[in-house]
Amino acid sequence: MTTPASHKPLGQPAVDHIRREVSQVLAIYDLLYPTQTLNLFLYESNDPLSGKPSVIEGPVTLQASHLSPEFLGQMRRPAPREGAPVVTVMVSIPRAPLPSERALTDAPWAPVRGLKAVHRLSPMLYETIRYQAEMARKRRSRRVHSTVSLARSQGSQLFPPPAPADSATRPAILIGMHWLEVGGAEALAFDTVQWALEAGLRVFVVTSVPSIQRLRSKLPDHPDVRFIPLDRYLPHHLWPRFIEQLALTENIRLVHIHHCTFLYESLPQLRTMMPWVRVIDSTHIVEYADGGYPRISGVWSNYIDMHHVISRQLVRYYRDDFHIVGKVRLGRMLTRPEGEASPPDLRLQAGQKTLHVTFIGRLYYQKRPVVVVEAIRALAGWADRNQVDLRGTIVGEGPFRGAVTRLLQRYGLQDRVAIEPASADVPGLLGRSDILLLPSNNEGLALVCYEALAHGCIPISTDVGAQGEIIPPDLLVPVEPRAAVRGIVTAVDRLWRDGAFLAAQKAALQAASRALAADPTAREVLMPLYRDAAQGHQTEETGSR
Amino acid sequence: MSALTRTAAVIVTFNRSAKLMKVLDALDRQTLKPDLILVVDNASTDNTAELVEARATQDSAIRYMRLPRNVGGAGGFHEGMKAAYAQGANYFWVSDDDAYPEPDALERLLDAITAFEDANVWRPSFACSRVEWTDGTLCEMNTPRPVWDWPRFLTPDRPWALVDSCSFVSALIPRWAVREHGLPIADYFIWFDDAEYTRRIARSYPGIYCPESRVIHDTPDNRGVNFGMIDDKSLWKFKYGARNETSWRRREQGLAGVLAYAYGVRRQMREAGVPRRLKWSIYGAIFKGYAFRPAIEHVT
Repeated sequence: MTTPASHKPLGQPAVDHIRREVSQVLAIYDLLYPTQTLNLFLYESNDPLSGKPSVIEGPVTLQASHLSPEFLGQMRRPAPREGAPVVTVMVSIPRAPLPSERALTDAPWAPVRGLKAVHRLSPMLYETIRYQAEMARKRRSRRVHSTVSLARSQGSQLFPPPAPADSATRPAILIGMHWLEVGGAEALAFDTVQWALEAGLRVFVVTSVPSIQRLRSKLPDHPDVRFIPLDRYLPHHLWPRFIEQLALTENIRLVHIHHCTFLYESLPQLRTMMPWVRVIDSTHIVEYADGGYPRISGVWSNYIDMHHVISRQLVRYYRDDFHIVGKVRLGRMLTRPEGEASPPDLRLQAGQKTLHVTFIGRLYYQKRPVVVVEAIRALAGWADRNQVDLRGTIVGEGPFRGAVTRLLQRYGLQDRVAIEPASADVPGLLGRSDILLLPSNNEGLALVCYEALAHGCIPISTDVGAQGEIIPPDLLVPVEPRAAVRGIVTAVDRLWRDGAFLAAQKAALQAASRALAADPTAREVLMPLYRDAAQGHQTEETGSR
Repeated sequence: MSALTRTAAVIVTFNRSAKLMKVLDALDRQTLKPDLILVVDNASTDNTAELVEARATQDSAIRYMRLPRNVGGAGGFHEGMKAAYAQGANYFWVSDDDAYPEPDALERLLDAITAFEDANVWRPSFACSRVEWTDGTLCEMNTPRPVWDWPRFLTPDRPWALVDSCSFVSALIPRWAVREHGLPIADYFIWFDDAEYTRRIARSYPGIYCPESRVIHDTPDNRGVNFGMIDDKSLWKFKYGARNETSWRRREQGLAGVLAYAYGVRRQMREAGVPRRLKWSIYGAIFKGYAFRPAIEHVT
């Protein structure tokens, strides 16, 4: 008797992968449905990101489509008591990402259909058209998206809100992130995980956007840190109930939202059922398209106890758009040095014979890599006219990498400009660079500017977001692509040619650094709240004994 | 790293019932037997229907799909894979009606494709067997085409070379590749349908050549494919080949690819002294192929 191919034993890696993922699914639904009978229908997915979960509460009627070729099998977790209602969870197990997907999830960038010829003919013309479209979108966004905070009634005194029950569990914080990938907001979120541990909190981390979560290993390998992949395995509409259950079970005292949409949407449930849980959020950048997370934060402001922002521009945004002042706290993404901080020693000298320009950032449209190449091309022409040996380095990964490589070849710059992966030694590179280019379409307050100054490199940026808080006006260039390129060349030329101008810019940059350093840091703003959350519980525990 | 290995063998046949029975015998002896054996009959006029139906009454895995007319190997594989996809197969093991797999041929292919994924994370778009002629030598017409970095993952205990093209003689194709890239082009009728299809799915990732999985191809002789071999009897097949490959070249490489192909065909025919009449038939097929743009059908 021969064996059918479908009964072929599985390899150990496949078994391990499925078991690991199923245990995560079970952990989520065990918590959400502790008293129900749980039926899990498991499927194999061709998608490396999302489990496309669906949940049916009550009796389920199975159809042929439920037994598709991807059907892996079913599991049943009995309820603690007889006759409990049944909940059916249908979820796919995402496959392991391919090496190419691990390197880059997004497809390589290509010009929009119909404008390919324009890009071939003139990349700058294409950039200009796209810029105009972005600006039109920005103008529309105010009309389309609300900038009114949602009302939140506290109810009548006749009906007091629920009070916290004593819990023997050590207090915890829930940190919600967009995803576990590279980014400024994510950098702060990872820091806050460390700070929460330091404060003595147990830490739960959730993400709202399905992704490969490449930086998952960056979460501390600590028994008090637990990542729950809700992005993968929980339908959006069940987030509020899950968050409530998690907060109840794990004695969550503080919720910190870092760009996590579904956590914002869980706030009505959380604030109503567990009003003692404090909620804070951190925001970084106002997006052109829809205002981004600061707008979402403003809309939910009545459900949030404190807004932490990283720039004064955002302080103004909350004030001007949402009329919120008192609960907005500025906390810079800086580390307070021990002892007196020395002003940065900026390297560029007037008339020097070599010039190293650098770009560091994800190669996505927001950073405008095509404008970077055009700026370097224009600077190469300037350098040739002035007998300066110009070198360039572009650090980053993303869909535009192919386009950047092709443009550098087309302009004959491949020998003068190196492209390095995101894992490059950035401090070492900035320590060799004279100028950092940042011609972004939009920014919050780019962390790389702090890093550039710390390593003696002068940043030149488009005048977007809060860049003006760190870069003096003469080193800010217009956003319009051609004007940005012209502005960069003009700024570099003046810095190189005019010693007095260079000295003034260095002084302005140093002054800006000092001013930023005088502001509170994010850690200084957040740590007291974290300690309160940890200690509030300890006080209660002491009182109850 | 697929956990599902339900496999459908898709065998296309036309008027070769005796050889087909030997193929079904060989499938019955497999150490891992296909869950489904789909015999696609291109409207045979011999006793194929009676013999297969008789077998199917004894073996519920065998399904018999009789096409209303002969649509060629290409049309047969197209229809067969489409039906097997609808039946929920996770792998498609496609082969000819005169290719006899060794008893462990399928098991070795499945082992190789799953072990390759487990070890390297990459997903091969197909796995193909070593195809031997009846005397044990390599079957010339079923030689897979390696990619430039074919030995990238090749080791003594895992001798799998990366290839981007193979024939439909013991080729194992995963479901995801069919879902992403569609079905073989039925309109090709015969010749180059397998090369076009495997090259198309290999865009995702190359296939692997698994020499430990062996198949005996019982062809009348063991010859490769060369336009210098054209004679009156084989002209019709070569015309399909020229038309189909020209069509593919135009799609993938544009006019330059077509011209390079035509130049190569011309050289082969000239060196072999192919008569002018036959040569012009082939040029006509190339010309026709330039305008031949068959659609690729996707599964739903």
